[in-house]
Amino acid sequence: MKTSFKSALVATTAFVGLTLSGAAMAETMKIGITQNNVGVDSYQTTYEKAFIAAADANDKVETVVLDAGGDVARQIAQMEDLIQQEVDAIIIWPTNGEAVIPAVRKAHKAGIPVIVTNSNIAEQGFEFVKSFSGPDNITQGRRSAEIMCDKFKAMGTENEAKVVHITGQPGYTTAIERAKGFDDRLPEVCPNVTQIDKQPGDWNREKSQKVMEAFLVKYDDIDGVYSGDDNMGVGALNAAKAAGREGIIFVGATNFAVGYEAMGRGEYWGSIYQSPVDDAEAALKTAIDVLSGKDIPFLNYFDTPKITQDNMAEFDKPVF
Amino acid sequence: MAPGTLSTFLKRGAIWGFIVLELVFFSVAGEFLSLSDKAFMDLDNMLLLFKQSAPIGIIAIGMTIIMINGNIDLSVGATFALSAIVLLDSMTWPMFGGLGDGVIPLAWGLALMTGVVLGALNGLIVWKTGVDAFIVTLGSMLGYRGLVFMYNGEQPTSHLNWTLVDLAESQFMGLHTPTWFLIAVTAVIWFVMNKTVHGRNAYAIGDNRTAAINAGIRVGPHFVINFMIIGFLASLSAVVFYSESGSVNPNDGELYELWVITAVVLGGTKLTGGAGSVLSTLGGVLAIQLLRKGLGHIGADTETVNLVIGLILIAVLFLDRQLNLKGREALKT
Repeated sequence: MKTSFKSALVATTAFVGLTLSGAAMAETMKIGITQNNVGVDSYQTTYEKAFIAAADANDKVETVVLDAGGDVARQIAQMEDLIQQEVDAIIIWPTNGEAVIPAVRKAHKAGIPVIVTNSNIAEQGFEFVKSFSGPDNITQGRRSAEIMCDKFKAMGTENEAKVVHITGQPGYTTAIERAKGFDDRLPEVCPNVTQIDKQPGDWNREKSQKVMEAFLVKYDDIDGVYSGDDNMGVGALNAAKAAGREGIIFVGATNFAVGYEAMGRGEYWGSIYQSPVDDAEAALKTAIDVLSGKDIPFLNYFDTPKITQDNMAEFDKPVF
Repeated sequence: MAPGTLSTFLKRGAIWGFIVLELVFFSVAGEFLSLSDKAFMDLDNMLLLFKQSAPIGIIAIGMTIIMINGNIDLSVGATFALSAIVLLDSMTWPMFGGLGDGVIPLAWGLALMTGVVLGALNGLIVWKTGVDAFIVTLGSMLGYRGLVFMYNGEQPTSHLNWTLVDLAESQFMGLHTPTWFLIAVTAVIWFVMNKTVHGRNAYAIGDNRTAAINAGIRVGPHFVINFMIIGFLASLSAVVFYSESGSVNPNDGELYELWVITAVVLGGTKLTGGAGSVLSTLGGVLAIQLLRKGLGHIGADTETVNLVIGLILIAVLFLDRQLNLKGREALKT
């Protein structure tokens, strides 16, 4: 009785397995992916769905889709399992950019090309990685600067505007790169716009709101705010609204649903559109290109276009 | 055959029977569903199984003693993370600057000491306040995790030392380093539980605390020692694992307490204490890791792992209850 009960359980599992893995075919590319933490936010959930859909649509590809649940130990075990299964390529979304380096080295030693997706591993691991597929944060920062400058030009304030800058968490590569892109590009396109202050908002909406409150007290004249992502941007926007300061141009990056909605209300000017679908498809394509022997740049970016109140109708509302 | 022998045998054997079932199922299903040409029961894959079981397994062995005592320790995940931070960070402390790779054993020592101290703290509070271990360790779980976040904020603590990684990745007689630690810990704790006074006392206290006190067992100090053991093992698990990975996220080890307790319960240890076996716990750990591995092998969605483990856990508890009922009836007749 106990055996039959358990085998029923296991059989249920098998059906789930059946529906998810495609029919075995000869001479297909076997690609394994271990993701960071599906289900923790809708960006990652959408990413996984898009990845599976893209893999299903391509009959030359077979995939093993794994999720580390945010647990480094489980991700390393999954890397070992994929090496053991002798897949042709491994895509990894690191749970920790340094902890996975030894596991990546193992795959490299086993002759399996590794593609890092979404956020890169630390530089010590670069020699074991074939390619990084993800957003180009420096370009994102540069584009945000262009969005802001174009708006100032349209308003005719490009010779006097003053800008404050709220960055992501100190030490995070994404934060550093976006800030650098913005700082470098703004004086190139709008040489007379001055950046009067820059403070970290730690990717956190409340923290960013506090930073902005301090800016508003300190400076009577603020024309533009650039934040490292829309989450912080909306925090800054809330601070400005509470203080009754109008006419400030808000530009962010990684368009969040809250940012998109604020743009719809005309309170937030623009951002950078980063789609998890593009992210997933780029990762799979990079892996396929690597296996087909194509020449792939080490940093293989997917496009993250500008989005403003003017062109937002062309984009779907972000799911996160 | 004495009454109850059969049910004990079934209880002890159930987890191993389940493991065999898993092996057969994933081997057969793997032939059809896996995109790998390698068999599931490939020797290397089975060796990996033991290695991957080590982080949870080493802690679960310690949790077995705690649960045989009738206690529980929810702070093991936080202890795991804090020990990992001490391990990786101490290697960069300037006062050890001149030691080169000689710093490695020192860092190991410091990390292990962290666990022993945190465990002793848990044990002392349980002893001196008489508050239930569940509440005490719930508090220390939050408190120790707070220390983890105070140490480095939201950022990972990292120190990648290739000498250490090579050491941790090495294989001795075919077995990976973590596997050796898992085997050694299981053997030592098995010996303690079955062949020493301390181990037999653990069963006595869990079975009937009042009787144990009347028999002259000093329950308080006994608890402190056991909490020190599990603290040590949580740190040992961190030492073994982070020697090979070199960076710890502040949320690492979260939910480990639940996986550990799941493994112990799967192995047939009673939540109320007084009964349990170290070897069956090892079986519970292997069963969980086999399930994770197997579902990955046949390409099933990893989220189904949690669902299946949950169902099996309930099935095991149900089975345990049924067998216990039958055992008692047998005694009556």
